[in-house]
This record gives sequence, C-alpha cells and structure tokens, in this order.
Amino acid sequence: MFITKKHLSRRTLLQAGGASIGLPLLSAMVPAATALAQTAAAPRPRMGFFYLPHGAIMDNTRFGAEMNRWTPDIEGRDFDFKPILEPLAPHRDHLTVVSGLGNKPAESSAVHAIVPATWLSCEHPRQSHAPFAGVTVDQIAAAHIGQDTPLPSLELATEEEGGGAACDGTYGCSYGRTISFRAPTTPMPMEYEPRKAFEKIFGRGKTPEQRSEVANDYRSLLDMVAGEAADLKRKLGPADRILVDDYLESVREIERRIELLGQRDLSAVALPEIPVARPDFDDLIRLMHDLVVAAFQANMTRIVSIMLAAEVSNQPYTHVGIPDAFHPLSHHAENKGSMEKLVVVQRYHSQVFADFLAKLAAIPDGDGGSILDNSILLYGSNMSNSNSHNNFPLPTLIAGRGSGTIEGNRHLRYPDRTPLANLLLTLLKRAGVPAESVGDSSGELTEV
Amino acid sequence: MTRFRRRVPKRSRVHPLRTAAAVVGCALLAACAQRDIPPEAALAAHWPILDGYCADCHNDTEYAAEFSFDAAEPADIAADPETWEKVVRKLRGDLMPPPGGPRPDAERVDAFVASLGDALDAAAAIRGPMPGHVSPHRLNRTEYARAIEDLFGFRIDAAALLPNDIASEGFDNIAEVLGVSPTHLDQYLAAARDISIRAVGEAVPELTRAYYRSERENRTMHVAGLPLGTRGGLAVGHYFPADGEYDISLNISSIPGAELRGYPYGWLEYRHRLVVTIDGIKVFEDFIGGEEDSRTLDQEQIQGVERIRDRFRNIRVSVKAGQRNVAASFIARSLAEGDYLLQSLTPGEGVPDVPRLYGLEIIGPYNATGIGESTVSRDRIFVCYPREQGAERPCAREIFANLATRAFRRPVDAADIDPLLGFYDAGRNDGDFEAGIQKGVMALLASTKFLYRAEPGDAPAGPDAASAYAVSDLELAWRLAFFIWSQGPDETLLELAEQGRLGDPDVLEAQAGRMLADRRSSSLVTNFAFQWLAVRRVEMIDPDPRLYPNFDEDLRSAFREEMALFLDSILREERSVLDLLTANHTFVNERLARHYGIDTVRGDRFRRVELADSRRFGLFGKASILMVTSYPDRTSPVLRGAWIMEHILATPPASVPAGVETDLTPAPGDIPRTVRERLARHRTEPSCNHCHGVIDPLGQALENFNVIGEWRTHERDNGLPIDSSGTLAGGMPVNDPEELRRALTAEPELFVQALAEKLMTYALGRGLEYYDMPSVRAIVADAAAAGYSFDSLVLGIARSEAFRMRAVPEPDAEDALQARGD
Repeated sequence: MFITKKHLSRRTLLQAGGASIGLPLLSAMVPAATALAQTAAAPRPRMGFFYLPHGAIMDNTRFGAEMNRWTPDIEGRDFDFKPILEPLAPHRDHLTVVSGLGNKPAESSAVHAIVPATWLSCEHPRQSHAPFAGVTVDQIAAAHIGQDTPLPSLELATEEEGGGAACDGTYGCSYGRTISFRAPTTPMPMEYEPRKAFEKIFGRGKTPEQRSEVANDYRSLLDMVAGEAADLKRKLGPADRILVDDYLESVREIERRIELLGQRDLSAVALPEIPVARPDFDDLIRLMHDLVVAAFQANMTRIVSIMLAAEVSNQPYTHVGIPDAFHPLSHHAENKGSMEKLVVVQRYHSQVFADFLAKLAAIPDGDGGSILDNSILLYGSNMSNSNSHNNFPLPTLIAGRGSGTIEGNRHLRYPDRTPLANLLLTLLKRAGVPAESVGDSSGELTEV
Repeated sequence: MTRFRRRVPKRSRVHPLRTAAAVVGCALLAACAQRDIPPEAALAAHWPILDGYCADCHNDTEYAAEFSFDAAEPADIAADPETWEKVVRKLRGDLMPPPGGPRPDAERVDAFVASLGDALDAAAAIRGPMPGHVSPHRLNRTEYARAIEDLFGFRIDAAALLPNDIASEGFDNIAEVLGVSPTHLDQYLAAARDISIRAVGEAVPELTRAYYRSERENRTMHVAGLPLGTRGGLAVGHYFPADGEYDISLNISSIPGAELRGYPYGWLEYRHRLVVTIDGIKVFEDFIGGEEDSRTLDQEQIQGVERIRDRFRNIRVSVKAGQRNVAASFIARSLAEGDYLLQSLTPGEGVPDVPRLYGLEIIGPYNATGIGESTVSRDRIFVCYPREQGAERPCAREIFANLATRAFRRPVDAADIDPLLGFYDAGRNDGDFEAGIQKGVMALLASTKFLYRAEPGDAPAGPDAASAYAVSDLELAWRLAFFIWSQGPDETLLELAEQGRLGDPDVLEAQAGRMLADRRSSSLVTNFAFQWLAVRRVEMIDPDPRLYPNFDEDLRSAFREEMALFLDSILREERSVLDLLTANHTFVNERLARHYGIDTVRGDRFRRVELADSRRFGLFGKASILMVTSYPDRTSPVLRGAWIMEHILATPPASVPAGVETDLTPAPGDIPRTVRERLARHRTEPSCNHCHGVIDPLGQALENFNVIGEWRTHERDNGLPIDSSGTLAGGMPVNDPEELRRALTAEPELFVQALAEKLMTYALGRGLEYYDMPSVRAIVADAAAAGYSFDSLVLGIARSEAFRMRAVPEPDAEDALQARGD
C-alpha cells in the first residue's frame, strides 16, 4: 500500500484521538474516536422501521369488524391473532400491537405521493417538486445513537420504484420513494440492489481479502485527495474554502467508516451470499432482511428503514399464489374476494417479518439477551384502507423490547385518531433519544 | 433607502429598440458619463412616476416589500445599483405597479426604464469591472461521463455510478451547490476504481450483472440504433470486460414493471419475431406468441408463461472484449395488422396489445479467455509497453504523463505524475506492470485535479491591487470548453492557451466560432436548452390515462425528439433566437404528426415540416412544453403563465407571500365548471391579483391546448367552450397563442435578454447578480446587430468581463489563520 509519510502521521493522529491536526477538527471525527470504546460495553437499542405500503385489511371497510384481519379483539395481555398477524404469534412476548392511531399530516389529494415520507415525520410536506419535508424519526435517532457505527443509518427497499401515482403534479416524486429524510431538503435514497446494499454495509469485495484490498485502495486514495484538497485550499479565497472544508469533512467521514469497518470482527457474522442475477421477489426481500440481521449483528448500524414494497408497487405475489400486482389489487373496490387476496399478500409480509425476528432472537447481544430483546422495530403502514386511501386506523405494531423499556405481549387500544406521532415520540424516548416532539405529537403513549 | 429583502422576480416587458441601443452604447463607451446631460438629470424628468404610482405603497409608513421611495434621489442610483436593477426588472416586467391599480402609459414606463438603465450602465462603467465570484467547479455527472469517454473511449452509466447532482438557478452546473457529501466521495472512489479496472482490463474478470431498462422507450416505433424494420426494443452500449461467454436475458411483457401481471395475456395471441444483435450481427432469433404459446398459456396458466419466458432467458453468446452495441427488438409487422392504434379500452389500464421488451440483462463472462485483441481504452492507455523490467517505470511515467495531461486538462509536471507513480509502485509490488498501471489510473480518476476545475491564477496582491483580474488563458480555455461542449478543451485550445494567445479577443472569437461549428456543441441543446426550458421534465409527467388514453411512451419520446430537433434547427443554424417563439417549422414523425392534426406524414422517421397551422408555431405550440406546464389531469394557466415568466421572460413570479389566503376551495354547491372559473377568485382578491393578474393571462392564452398539447375548443367533461381571452398586465389583450406570440415578440429584446441571462448563468456556473446586468444589456444590444443569432449571444458571453475575469476574493479572518500554515 502506498502512503506518504506525512499522511501516515495524519491518520495516526486521527486514530489516536483526532486532536491537533492542522486541518479543522470536524464533528464526524469526535464520535469516531470517543465512542469506539463504549460500543462493546453498553449495547444501545437498534431501531428498525418496516414500511408496508397500501394499508391493511382491518376494521376499515364497509364490512366493519366482519372483515377485520389485523386488529386483535382482546386488549392487553395474551391478545388474539387475526390472519394477517398470525405468522407473528411465536413472537408474542416481543410484540406490542397499537390500535387507534391515525396520521392526519399524511392526508392529501395526492393519495400515494406523500404517504411514505410522512410515516416517520408526521408532518405535511411542502407542495413542491423540490423536496421539503419533516425530518423523520429514524434520522433523528441516527443523529443520536447512530454516530459511532460505520453507518449512522441504513435505508433499504425491495423495488426501485412503483407506478406513476407515487409522483404527483403538486408534490413531485420526492415524498413517494423514501420513508427517510435526514433534513427537510435531504431525502435518503433507499437502496434496492442487494449487491450495492451489501457493499454499503460491509464494503466492496466478495471475500475478506478483497474487501481489505479495496479498503487499502481507498485509504491511499483518501490520503492523496486530502493532501490535494489542503493544497487547493491554500490557493482559494475564503468563500471557496468552505467547499474544500466540506470535501475534507467527507474525506474524514469515509476514513472513519473504513477504520471502523476494519475494526469489526466479522468472523462470527453470517454474511449473506449475494447472487449475481437479481433474485425473485421472495428471495430478494428475505435477502434484504438477512442483510439487516448481519448489519445489526456486526454493529455496522443501529438504525434501519426499509420499504417492504414500493409505494404503488406493481409487484405480483405469484410465490404465494397471487398473480395480481400489489397496487391494482389494493384497490379492492370493497370486494371481499379482492380483500381476501390482499390478506394473503399482507400475511406473507408478516411471515417474512416473523422469520426475520426469529433470526434476531437467536443472536446473543449484551447481558444474556438477544438482539431482538434490545431492538425497537416499528412495523406497519401509513395508510389504512387502500381503496379509499385514508390514514386511520393505521395498522401498527412494535417488535422488540428496547433493552427492557418495552414490556411486550400486549395489544394497546388508544382513542380513535390518536396521532401516530405520539407513538414515534415514545419510541424515540425509549431508545434514549432526547426529543420534545415529533410532527403533530400531543404527548407520549406511556403504556407502551 | 432600504433594500428588498425577498428575492424579487426577475425581468420584464419593455423598451423600444432605439432606447435599448442607446443604453447599451452607453455601457460600451465609458465616455457617456460625460455626456452633455448627466444621466441623473435625465432621470429627474421621470421621477414623478415614482411619486405618482409607486410611493403609495413603497413609502416610509407602508414600507411595502421593506422598500421606500420617500427619500430616493436620482443620485442614489450609482450608490445602490442592486436596488435599482430590481426597480428596472419590476418595471420592465409590468410586475409593478400591480395590476388593477392605476399605471402610467407604457411609453412613459419605457422611457423611465431606458433612462434608469442608462444611469446604471454609466455608473458601472465608472465603477470598473465586477466579474463576480465562481467557486471551483466539480464536474457534474454529465461532464464526468463525457470526460471518461474522452479519456478511454467507452461510455459509463453515469446514473448508476455517480450520485445525482443538485440543480440551482435551473441548471445542474452551478458551482456553489456542487458539493461533495460522504456519499458523493464514496461513489467517486468506487467509480475511480471500477473505471480504472475496466479501462486497463482484466484477463478473468468477476462475473457481473448489468441490467438495462426501456421503461421510457416506445413499443410500436422504430428505435434509433436498432436495425431498420424493427419495432420497439432497446439498444445499449455494453462493455464486455473480456473475451468469453455471456448470458443475455430479455424481459418481455406488454406493461412495464409488471412482467407477471395478471390476465389476459392477449398480447401472446399473435406471433412476434424477436431478434438480438451484437454490433449489428444477429446472435439470437425466436418467436413469441401465436397458437402454440397461446395453448401453453391456456393449459398451464402462470407456469406456462414462465416456460415461454424461459426461451428468452440466459441466451448464451460468445463475445470479444470491448464496447459493443447490444440490441434486442421485434421485427415490425405491416401496419395493417394493427400494432398501432390499439388504444386502451379500460381506463387507466390499457389493453395489452403487443409484446414489448422492457429490459435486457447481461451476465458474464463465463469461461473468460482474456483479452485477445486490444480494446480502445487499452490502446489509449498503453502508449508504450515495456519489453523488460527496466523499461517498466519509464513507460509508466510516459503513460501517466499522457493520461494526466488529458485528465487534468493542462500541461502536467512531476508534482502531478509522482503521486500516480507512487500508486503504480504499490500495485507493481503486489502484482505485475498492468496492476501498477491500474492503480495509477485509479488515482488519476480520484484526484481532485480531475474532479475539479479549480486552478485560479494567482491574484495580484497588495492593497492597491485591482478588485478584479483576467483569468489565465488556461482557465479561459476550460471555461470556454465546458460552456460550449460540456467537457474539457481539445488540443487546439490548450495549445493556444499555452502560447498565451487565447486572451486575444480575435483568437477567442475565432475559437468560439470553431467550437460552435463542432458537433460537440450539441450539448448546448441537450444540456443547456433542455434545462433552460425545463423540458427534461417531460420524462416525469404521466398524464392521467383515463383522460388521455392516446398518450403512450411512443408519443412521449416523439415530444422529446421534436424538441431536440427543433432547438437544434434554430440554435445551431445561426437563425434569430426569436424564431424559437415564431418559427413555422417543426419536426415530426407519423405519430406526432397525427397528434398535431397533420395527415401527410408517414413512417417513424422524423422530418422537417412547414406548419400550416400557425397556432403550432414556435415553442408555445410544442407538445413537450405544453405537457411540462400541466398537471397530469388538467391544464393550468398558472403553471403555463409562470413558466413563460420564468423561462421565456426570466422574471419568475414570487412565491405566495406569507399570510395570503390561498385556499380557493369553492363553497359547496358552487363548483366551478371550467379551469377559468376556478381562477376567477384570483381576479377578485387584490392580494391574489397582484401577481396572478400578471401570471394567469399569459397561460390562459394557451388554454386551447390540453395537457398533452392537443388543440381543443371545448372542455372535455362538460362540453363548455374554452375561453382563452385575457389582458396582459401591460394592458395588451391576448386571446390565443398567436396573439401571445405577437405580444411577447413585439419587443424582441425582452426574450433575447431572458435567453442571454439563462445562457450566461449556465456559462458561468453561477446565478447572475445586479452587477452583471450592464454586461447583459450590452450582449443583447450587440446581438441585435447580428440579427439575434444564438452564436452572437454565445460570443457576447465569451467576451464579457464576468467570463474572462475573476474578482479578487475579499480577505477575512481565515486568511490570518491560513497564513500561519497548516
């Protein structure tokens, strides 16, 4: 590997604590250096946000309770499982089903185009093609508990995009293709290629040797460009130095990632095999979940957001006997036959989620618990009845016990149209994230 | 006087040619400041306009827009040009006084504006050059891809390799916002590594998958790049990394994105012949559909479809390394069989009519056998090849010197080459000569010297130094090349720069002329003009299929093609740019001709036609423009009016001010029946009318064009006649596209100045400021003498001080820090 002497010493400083180098000390470095020691000792909760588009068949159709396939009848402990949630029954002790929630800020005439982006922000976005939306709770969490992992957060999807209705003449396309906003104008793209997702989490290369070779290449390149940028900076006026500072900050952020990555022991982690050909949907969605399991296990990130299908997805579910495309099917026209088909699709997603939970439950984490014990995973939709595109009652559940902050095995029913934001705020607090409010929140759901 | 806080809508209506010429002549001759009548004195005669029509709101008490004329004097102009340029814009654009109130005669306003411009230009001439500040440019995605193609002779999929760029001021090359986030840097490093491996080549590359989509491509027309006599499909440039076998899979359906989409599979009813070619040579042919496939489908349902599809998956072909054109398409049947015009019968769904190729996957290489013959990129890299170990390092040096000169767009020295050799040595130690070269090429592509255009010459120092200085010839060459070609300079330009001759105005002009004549200047159409007119959005709008069942991807691509050809025919043929608004020709194929009601065109080839229907003349009659200014389900005079103000007149309307009621929801039982009725509220509420009185009539004149640009005389839903009449803010009645066109070209410098401003923004890579306006007025006046040709605007910009000069940065506290050294 090629490293000049000057730059070698710069990196040594970086690893040793990051002080006293000539370039401005930037925020990204500080947590990198300080938090490393803490990570092993005090596991912090993982947070996951699992977005299922197009609502669920529950007590939200003209048939009322007769067609309810989601909401348990029993409140409190030892609740019953309706067909959609039934696959999750083995994880009862780690489940909290929350009923009665609604999300008013998600309402608009653009029935699909703003639903994804408002799920985790509960804030109505600006009517513009250029994005301007509320910051989402996954990113709020990432800013607080995601800074000492190689990736502050991870955003995944299973499809590149759905049909045209995910865009809108008024709201554009910015709010329909992601559930994550780091800043009002910064939507986080959702990675849908398993290969790219893998490389983002674990680095490029198929074998540990290849990954280490790539990391070496990057280290040398970063040394070179850091030196070049510093030279360039000397030639520039004050206004332009800011640009170079941004560049150098990015250099340090990538360096930080590579160093953290290099320190992770992956020998005990089952890294998923990524096939060359794009897998079919069932294999792909499970692969994406396996990547999340591995990322959590290796402590590559603590925060994951995933769109389980694209908004306005045209994905057929032939693998569970439903050849219809998801979105057209979701316009069930209050027809029982169509609704039962949709139940099969939604139940399938519960099954995938249940299998994912089983893997998390099998991985020890901290003092005798599992990763699932230490996780807070929100699963649900930001739409209720996919035929009328309303946003109440929202199908919502939590998996995991948040390192003992969430009891589990309960069905909680809140008054109708309790803001979803109240739950999001509650989850942030349970994860140790200081937050005063989220979107239109009016308080916490202390019972959770 | 206080300055405006809000960003004020730019641009304008305005002054007759003779006054414009006088104003600009003045800017050119600094002497005009010493004319008999000082500009302030001339202005004083117009001052009553401010008192009579402006000071009612803009006074110390009302303080509208935080702006007062109470203490304003003609002598203020030189001291506060920023504010007065805004006044000029407001008046030129008829934005003020607001519609609905009393306004002075147009002649009086014109004379006042002319006089103001005169004074501003005179003040600028005395003040001296203010070329403004441009940050170091990072190559954007388009420029990066062009640079790679220039270096190695292959195309990269920039969208897949590199992050998207943020646009500002309507363009994606604005230096200030081309930042580098960690995601960017990560992807640049990855791209540098991937591209270097591809360029040098590997004997046994890893198995990789490439997937190409044709979601936006057509299915019934011939596609450029595919063999004649074929229909639909896609042609892609694919780089095969080594000699070997590759699997090609085709995704076939009739609806994009839903390959297994339910029943009926009507599109399998007839036999369609499908071919795959590589560099024009047929490598695969088979039929899909017809009796046997229909039977399979009947009997086996979904599984049957899978079996049919399997015939088009994993087609194993042997290919030699290099960039190749891979094409897959259907053989066109005669039109009598009806591939055409099978329109959707089910609202929103459409009837699957013919099979369509929407994706092509290439996986390989299997059984790779190295790189037999050379590739273009290897030829370009290996300008020498060592026969013995001792020759290796000198050869590596030669290779990097050659590549770096082109990649860094300038002569290079040891300081540029040595770091690359460092990478070479590391790679050579771990592997062989070529491994070393690959590492060096990787470093070259990751270098900020490649990624940035940032080589400011040393500014003259000292307290007495001027506030601006001429950029080096080298930087001038870069600016010129990126402006006209969207890529780095060629050898001729670099040579002239090296000889220090490019700064010579005649040489500069001759070079600009040469570059405009070169085909690379087509980026001014595809890159500049498409962004200027916002027509790239044509890809992003999906008209409501229930309302516009005739719209399909064929039509979308025809819209795009027409616009590209039309713009090219005016911008690159030395015609007056006013022809953009008025030209009586366009380019159509049969599909688009039918859409426009022209029934004499046959076939898929685009050709130039003279338009008999004058409503279709110029940009306002082009479907792409009409569609990007509509909602998917209805037209919007507001969007169209705002588009005209922003893109044609360069005076974008202000956004809705805080506190203004914007809820137009009608009372129950009072549902408006037409778009016009919906907008009636804009007229009755003064707070709306201030802006919408300017915006709406412009768009209303185009109301006879529907969302996809078809002419209509009645509303679709209720059969009510379309009323496109209106009165522009300046008082001119306009009732249809022709009158709108006449109104907007009555004072040609309005539009020309708007285009000049947009072009200058793009050329400089920064938003324009008040101190640029004297230059803009001069460029427009010079262009008038050249018949308003596009070339004359390009030349005018290339000669402008903002283009040729750079402001000396203002020192600040950081300089002191910097002086201490790192």
